Amino acid sequence: MNKDIYRNVAAITAIFIISLSVMLITNYFQVRGVSPLKMEVVETLKQLNDTSSDNLELQEQIRQLDLLARRAYFIQADHLKLGVYILLGMVLVFVTSLRFYFKGEMHIPDKEIDPIDEWMLKSKSRKYITWGTLGLVVVALLFVCLSSPFLKTDKTDGEAAETLLAENAQAVDDSEIAETPLKPEVPANELDMIDEHVPAEARDTIDDTTNDATLANEVLPAVSEEPRPVVSKVTHNAFRGNNSNGISAAKGIPVKWDLGSGVNIAWKKEVPRQGYNSPVINGNHVFFTGADDKARELYCYDLTTGEPQWSLEATDIPGSPSVLPKVTEDTGLASSTVATDGERVCAVFATGDVICADMEGKRLWGKNLGVPDNHYGFASSLLIWGNTLFIQYDNNSDPKLIALDVATGNQRWVKNRAGKSCWSSPAIAYVDQKPQLILMGNPAITAYNPASGEQLWQVDCMGGEVCSCPCSVDGVIFGANEYAKLVAINGADGKILWESSDYLPEVSSPAATKDLLYIATSYGVLAAYDTKTGALVKEHELNVEFYSSPMIVEGKLYLFSNDGKMHIFSTDKEFKLLASFETGERTMATPAFTDGKIVVRTEKSIYCVAAK
Amino acid sequence: MASLRGMSQAQIRFPKPDFESGYQYPELSYVVPNETLWVWLDIFMLILLMGIVTWAVYKKRTRRPIFWISVISVAYFGFFRSGCVCSIGSIQNIALAMVDSTYHLPLTVLLFFILPVLFAFLFGRVFCAGVCPFGALQELVNVKNYRLSRAVTVALGMIPWLYLIFAILYAVTRSRFIICQFDPFIGIFRLGGDVGLILFGALLLILSVFTGRPFCRFLCPYGALLSLFSSVSIWKIRLTRKNCINCELCHNSCPVDAIRAPYANKVKEKRTAGVRRLVGYLAILPLLIVSGAFLMRSASPDLSRANKEVRLYDLVEEHEANPEEELSLELEAFYGQGRTMEELASTYEAKQEEFRFYSTVAGAFIGLVIGLALIRLSVRRTRKRYEIHHADCVACGMCFSYCPQNKPSVESQKLSES
Amino acid sequence: MKEKKDQPKNSPIKRREFIRLCGSVVAGGTILAVAGGMSWKVKGEDASLFWQIDPNVCTQCGRCETHCVLPVSAVKCIHANKVCGYCDLCGGYYRSNVKDLNTAAENMMCPTGAIQRKFVEDPYFEYTIDEDLCNGCGKCVKGCTSFGNGSLYLQIKQDLCLNCNECQISTVCASGAITRVPYATAYKLKG
Repeated sequence: MNKDIYRNVAAITAIFIISLSVMLITNYFQVRGVSPLKMEVVETLKQLNDTSSDNLELQEQIRQLDLLARRAYFIQADHLKLGVYILLGMVLVFVTSLRFYFKGEMHIPDKEIDPIDEWMLKSKSRKYITWGTLGLVVVALLFVCLSSPFLKTDKTDGEAAETLLAENAQAVDDSEIAETPLKPEVPANELDMIDEHVPAEARDTIDDTTNDATLANEVLPAVSEEPRPVVSKVTHNAFRGNNSNGISAAKGIPVKWDLGSGVNIAWKKEVPRQGYNSPVINGNHVFFTGADDKARELYCYDLTTGEPQWSLEATDIPGSPSVLPKVTEDTGLASSTVATDGERVCAVFATGDVICADMEGKRLWGKNLGVPDNHYGFASSLLIWGNTLFIQYDNNSDPKLIALDVATGNQRWVKNRAGKSCWSSPAIAYVDQKPQLILMGNPAITAYNPASGEQLWQVDCMGGEVCSCPCSVDGVIFGANEYAKLVAINGADGKILWESSDYLPEVSSPAATKDLLYIATSYGVLAAYDTKTGALVKEHELNVEFYSSPMIVEGKLYLFSNDGKMHIFSTDKEFKLLASFETGERTMATPAFTDGKIVVRTEKSIYCVAAK
Repeated sequence: MASLRGMSQAQIRFPKPDFESGYQYPELSYVVPNETLWVWLDIFMLILLMGIVTWAVYKKRTRRPIFWISVISVAYFGFFRSGCVCSIGSIQNIALAMVDSTYHLPLTVLLFFILPVLFAFLFGRVFCAGVCPFGALQELVNVKNYRLSRAVTVALGMIPWLYLIFAILYAVTRSRFIICQFDPFIGIFRLGGDVGLILFGALLLILSVFTGRPFCRFLCPYGALLSLFSSVSIWKIRLTRKNCINCELCHNSCPVDAIRAPYANKVKEKRTAGVRRLVGYLAILPLLIVSGAFLMRSASPDLSRANKEVRLYDLVEEHEANPEEELSLELEAFYGQGRTMEELASTYEAKQEEFRFYSTVAGAFIGLVIGLALIRLSVRRTRKRYEIHHADCVACGMCFSYCPQNKPSVESQKLSES
Repeated sequence: MKEKKDQPKNSPIKRREFIRLCGSVVAGGTILAVAGGMSWKVKGEDASLFWQIDPNVCTQCGRCETHCVLPVSAVKCIHANKVCGYCDLCGGYYRSNVKDLNTAAENMMCPTGAIQRKFVEDPYFEYTIDEDLCNGCGKCVKGCTSFGNGSLYLQIKQDLCLNCNECQISTVCASGAITRVPYATAYKLKG
């Protein structure tokens, strides 16, 4: 009688348990990966809302979805808890009734499944163990064999890229991918540039496959065969050109212009807001920033027409200070030059605000890095390599190097740096075809792996207020600053090759060809040093002031003095002053170059020089 | 390094506000629960329950108290205390404490490890009987006892040893506690956790409805350890005070198949053949040890992947090869903390070295365990009576009520729990 | 001599007895050795009993929310008022790029609404965490650490934590911030 009850209870609970478990498990598999609080839709809608202005309908939609999501989250959690408790209770009832049902029932001798003889049994066990062991050994061997060859190939791949000459073409592909997956035009540009700064070598040593130049020559024909588009492919992506190295691959550059008479001036515009930053060119866009007490803005102008295309104000940034930091007149709030990768453009201001926009002026992200503790004002320029944005954030309280994801603004890595405030900007140097991120500061020049931020080498050689930036050629890094010295560092091991202190720059940065390194001092001397030996080759005393940095373009060196006088020198051994003329407005910024055009920012205006 | 890291994080971007309205900072305190009380209660319960089992097995020869102890253990150690720390997992803490001088072993863990071992050495595996919540849970749901072929159970009985060896290997290399990670029942006790493991636990429980303690017999590494001590225990569990009448009843009652039938040689094999086999196995024992050691040594790079630092190194290396790829969370943390590749590489090398050494030792032990099992299985024994195999016996007391020679239990046979 | 000769004769039982005795001695010795050896390692106060997050190492990878064995993680956000800047535009309270500083869903950072704020005086706001709602996702912590003073940070609440022998989160923690700590430092508090 009782037994029947127990049996029925057990049967009913069993059915219940099975159905409930099936429900719970199917539910689990259904909702697995669907976390209501992390729904893709809501997140994208929110991002949409960030970029569109006051779309009430969209906001309403977000609120509805968000409410649904939160409700789903809490209800789901509650239901699960309840379900588990019910299941546990049921299991308890089931087990109890089952035990009662079988209570008193003895384990009667069932059919013997084993052989009666123990010895046979042991033999059988031995057999099983032996087979099991063999199985294990096979599995282990499989693992060992499967994994080790992979490891070996991985390693050889890495070495091959470095050493094998025959695979140099492959290495070019690799480095192209590594550098800029986003913009196909930049590698060609890079190569142009390499071609530019090793012109003689490149032609002489075509069979020397290890040389950068050959890489250029191999790929160049393909590039030049293409019909040249209206918009030049030569970019000027950051302060002092791509990689911030003072070299441009632009061709057909005018050698004479005048603002007063309008000779060779394509367009000229007033600058909406002040700033000592330099213009940057990518495609048909000219980027620069300006700031005053009221606003800090990023501007985009049309390169061909000079019409303002859009501007973006750095506002609504969490953490942005309500009180502007104190800066001096000759630094301002917008001393840092922007950087672009052809798809996005980033700008930084002395408030520590960084903003990023796409080519249409849509703001992608903005963040505040903390107000830099800097007695003149933050002035370091930005640099983009691959999809990483580098910010040399050397300030008095917490100097560091910040690497952000260009697309999202998320921090990729950050390196704490020792030292004081400085106004220098990062540059990329290629050493053995590998990129190094070079930072100059007080007291050292430091090289980092741009991918990881790992410090490669550091040379303590700087001092004072470091404003000048490094430059590099053929794996040798040059850095110089007033009250310190001029050093040439071997990028491979961080050893000083030579040093000198005849002429030192204060604000202007050096630039170098394969043979000569050029230094422009603030008291008007442009000096050329032999890059190999450090011997002073020649100097020009011009009795002007140089704040702008020299740019090497088409075998010529272009250099503005502060009074707005343009000086053009030849970059061969002769080092002649080819031309020198007044342009009309005081100029501190470094001009930007693209094919046939120069964009110059003066104190009050921005103008474009183009040969007519 | 640490101070730099601290600096980068504890950045005061906004000054402390000067409140004019007399605002007071709220007092927040975070209490740490008084663990000591629970710790001592746990240990008290452990000793008490094991004592009761010993008393029931040696004095009373009855299962009834053991059943109730199982209920208490599942309720207290299992559901209430959520199963941590358990004796099974404590193996790893002990192993870690042996090699890592910086690791401070909590007293509870030591006691949880050593007390059941001590009891096993004195009285047999009384801990397994019902004090261990895992064994108790399986015992409680068990209603039928279908026997498995001994040959299969013996072979499967090797798994706990391998599990034990790997658990110790991963514990001493500070990689992970695999016993805790792959614990099938903890999810059930906590009513939540990894679904896969809960399903595995449920499967084990369903199995244990029909056959005795599959986890204890075929997985539990602590059981393997205890069996060593219980086989040489000072006092031995006896089926009956009187003479065995070879009635065979107890044989069927045992859920873990620890009662061996009397055996007289039936298969005739020449003595010399037996001896030759034994000598043969003794001869290949060193070979097994060496090849086990060699195999595990060659597999050590694979084994070392279980270690976080090693995986991180692989990740970083992969990333350095293609720096353009999206950073994983680990890499973001790695670069964010300003750690360098050199430092990581040296840790990596050290870990690899550690793994090479310990894997070799573990491989040797695997060879040893397999070899010894084979040797044991080639020794011929004679038994005249039904005997308890003390290494396997978990002192559950099932058999007492079956033995007709056990006077008190004959009377209560109808009433007692099966 | 005689004994030696005799032994093999009636050996099986005796020999087994002897081996068992040896075994017992070895086993007992092992227990004593382990217990003795380990008792040196036991240091009551320093025993690494608890799991805790080092907020200076934590990178808010978000795994605390998903990997705790509890249905709702034992990791909660904790707010150090003494470090907080009491900003209106709080990087932990509002999403980045927020337009209007109100409590509309599109502006809030916390997915469960566990951060509450109270006006103190112009321009300061006090923030508090409702731990019952907090699921330890660390979104606000990330916001506060990148834009603010880092006064919001994650900690394992010891009254919720089950003290697993090995913390499941620590096995996947991206930064290795979760370690065993003794009683004295069961919380690593800021401020």
